[in-house]
Amino acid sequence: MSHLFRSVSLGLFLCLGLLLISWWNLFAWSVVPVSGADVLHAFTSFNDQSIAHRIVLDLRLPRLLTALLVGACLASAGTIMQGLTRNPLAAPSVLGVNAGAALGMALVSTLPFLYGALSTSIAAMLGGGVAWLLVMLLGSAWRVGANEHGRLVLAGVAISALCAALTKAVVIMEEDQAAGVMTWLAGSLADARWQKWQTFWPVASISLIGALGLAPSLNVLQLGEDNARNLGINLLRSKLFGSLLVLMLVGAAISAVGSIGFVGLIVPHIARLMFGQDFRLCLPVAMIIGALLVTLADTLSRAVTYPMETPAGAILALIGAPFFIYLVRKRTL
Amino acid sequence: MTAQRFFPFALIMLFALSLANLLFGAVSLSLHDIWQGLFVGSEQHFTVYEYRLPRLFLAILVGAGLALSGALVQGVIRNPLASPDVLGVSHGAGLAAVFYMTYFNGASTEWLPEVALSGGLCAALILWYLCGAHSSAIKLAITGVALAAFWASCIDFLMLTKPLEINNALLWLTGSLWGRSWPQLQALLPWFVLVPFALGLSKYLNVLDLGDDSANSLGVSPQSVRLLSLAIAVALTAACVSVCGPIGFLGLVAPHLTRKLVGGRHQSLLPATMLTGACLLLAADLAARTLAPPIELPAGILTAIIGAPYFLWLLLRMK
Amino acid sequence: MSLSAHQLSVGYHGHTIVKKMDLTLPDGRFIALLGPNGCGKSTLLKCFARILPAMSGEVNWQGQNLHHYPSKQLAKALALLPQTQPIPEGIKVKDLVAYGRSPYTGFWGKLSTQDHQIVEQMMQQTGTYELRDQLVSELSGGQRQRVWLAMVLAQDTPYLLLDEPTTYMDINHQVELMHQLQALNKQGKTIITVLHDINQAARYCDHLVVMKAGELKYQGSPEEVLTSAMLKDVFSLSAQIHQDPVSGTPMCVVED
Repeated sequence: MSHLFRSVSLGLFLCLGLLLISWWNLFAWSVVPVSGADVLHAFTSFNDQSIAHRIVLDLRLPRLLTALLVGACLASAGTIMQGLTRNPLAAPSVLGVNAGAALGMALVSTLPFLYGALSTSIAAMLGGGVAWLLVMLLGSAWRVGANEHGRLVLAGVAISALCAALTKAVVIMEEDQAAGVMTWLAGSLADARWQKWQTFWPVASISLIGALGLAPSLNVLQLGEDNARNLGINLLRSKLFGSLLVLMLVGAAISAVGSIGFVGLIVPHIARLMFGQDFRLCLPVAMIIGALLVTLADTLSRAVTYPMETPAGAILALIGAPFFIYLVRKRTL
Repeated sequence: MTAQRFFPFALIMLFALSLANLLFGAVSLSLHDIWQGLFVGSEQHFTVYEYRLPRLFLAILVGAGLALSGALVQGVIRNPLASPDVLGVSHGAGLAAVFYMTYFNGASTEWLPEVALSGGLCAALILWYLCGAHSSAIKLAITGVALAAFWASCIDFLMLTKPLEINNALLWLTGSLWGRSWPQLQALLPWFVLVPFALGLSKYLNVLDLGDDSANSLGVSPQSVRLLSLAIAVALTAACVSVCGPIGFLGLVAPHLTRKLVGGRHQSLLPATMLTGACLLLAADLAARTLAPPIELPAGILTAIIGAPYFLWLLLRMK
Repeated sequence: MSLSAHQLSVGYHGHTIVKKMDLTLPDGRFIALLGPNGCGKSTLLKCFARILPAMSGEVNWQGQNLHHYPSKQLAKALALLPQTQPIPEGIKVKDLVAYGRSPYTGFWGKLSTQDHQIVEQMMQQTGTYELRDQLVSELSGGQRQRVWLAMVLAQDTPYLLLDEPTTYMDINHQVELMHQLQALNKQGKTIITVLHDINQAARYCDHLVVMKAGELKYQGSPEEVLTSAMLKDVFSLSAQIHQDPVSGTPMCVVED
């Protein structure tokens, strides 16, 4: 009973926090002054003449919604990856999916013969998929053993380095707008608009719902592959389905805002810490925490160099990398 | 291939690559042009003397320096995955340098090597503190990689929050020889007095290959050899990074390749590695300048494209 | 001349394993250190090889504290063959054996003609001369052990310390190694080895040192030391002592 109470109150607390941060995100550190009251009025009594109201609805709101959804996508992708590989260090950015997706996008948007052949989000998924497949094969992830954890991560790091180098090469060959590319590679929400949102949300929401459906089989998978098979889980199907979901989630997020790292690594750990090992509980909670974290980072991204903007991804990396070190140290690899 | 056959071969390679580096680029020159270009007043003087020649020397020095530090680190840690950039030393040095460049904008770049050196040293010390002396190969590599990721994110953060300096720093950070000339060469050269000391360690590094107990019994103190080699490796890496930015995977690939060719005796391995490193960087820089002229790719990108698959292959082969 | 311990305590991380031991190892003998696991025999050997410092007391050699000698001078007097050796990559057999000469070579490690002679001689003596151009990493376990022995011999020391040299070897290689050590002993080297197999020690060595729980219990010739009483006392084992039908040395046969 007390456990249930604790979970429910923690969940309520998280939702409340999410609401507050969302509200804060809509008005904080705006170059044109917008107050917290303006935000509420923009929803209740929209005034076409008010610049503040227009800013909130036309610029801030799509940005906030994108941030929420991107956070949820990346966090659930990380949770699924950690579940599938049973590796606490697994995450899209660690295992090369981010870098691969960025490479896919860079290729599609810069190489003339590919231009227009694929949409950027599909290119991101394909790139991420290929990178991840390579990492899993090279890191011998399908063979389970404690020693393989580190190997998988090192393979991911090497593939990431390779993809990053290729991305930079492609980008430099085609255009040399260093700052713009850097911002895009670091992952920024500054360019989120309603137009992009239109193509982003359907893919993202479908994948998120699919992710929730995967939770029970992820639970069983934690018992080890042999046990899972005994319990009637179709291993191949769950793994394929899970991998596809991860690619859709990460591909959608990256094509919307660029490569944001470490959310997928940190959030699953926080969710597990708060709500235990049950994926049916962990996965939705991870989504909420991910949304919260990315929104918070986005808000801060406007604050750090106000009135300029810093990409939210850079801020997340600054928090995420020490956490990565902490995880590496804690595990016996 | 034995050491006796490797050295002439590598020297010929080095010479050929050097010549190619002088001949080819955005404009192709003839041998005659190059000879003329060495003297003031000729048409190609700027291209040859101010542009390609210092860059050639830099590529040789940086390639040799990074490869030597890689060989020292691998010799000491007896870890095939170890190299200054995998251990995060390059990125640590890079962070210190970017910090210096963004926050002390007016300051002269003369102190850049020293600043980078302190950054590299700090990174190495932090890694040492986090891992302790007796870590498994994979744990050390993975902690180094995690630290490198942290330094890289700090660098990104600095560069993105100070967008005015971004082009300056980015140019530097991608690991490129573009726009480097005699002043950088001058800053780098003094650090190469460390090379004889490194070579002097060969005998002791050999004995270290036999394990700590045997080294002790042969009258060599493993701890002091380790400390000295790492200090030299960090200093050389930082000096190179301060001039060209982090050029990835060179310090990993060059020693491995050379060990395959000349064997593990450090008396031949260390000098041979320097030659290999110089050749690799010359080749990478040549490719970087001639793949899509007039655009230049940073040489560091090319070394990463070759080096990352090599790292993966090593990882696959490790038991 | 001889090696001796005076009130010697050795251990790891503040944990004493060898306790206040007094022991003199006679020169020119083939000495085996025996005892149950954890009795401190390897720890004692490591202290003699100055890999572990003494916690208190001292090891004496030629009337002086061993740990006060310069390490290069000691490297010419005491050689150690550790129990397990790393497998260095890209090193040829002749290079590895030549590393044994490093206490004698100068700054660059260049070998003199005399060094070359010794290296060759040791390779021949250990039967590794034919392997000299092969990589150490490509040898079999038994071959590798012989190469390491050649390296240690190339160090050309009057004392040779070995830590369980036969543990991971096939029986034929074990016998071969013990014969080689015997031959080296005849040439005047003092050999001090930790062994597991009591019968092996009694058969080949001429001085046994038996330890238990960090203390010296028995020492002397195999005939003096290898008795039913000692086995009962140190190993809690009931055994009979018979004469080895081949060599005439004592041999223990375990009772049910």
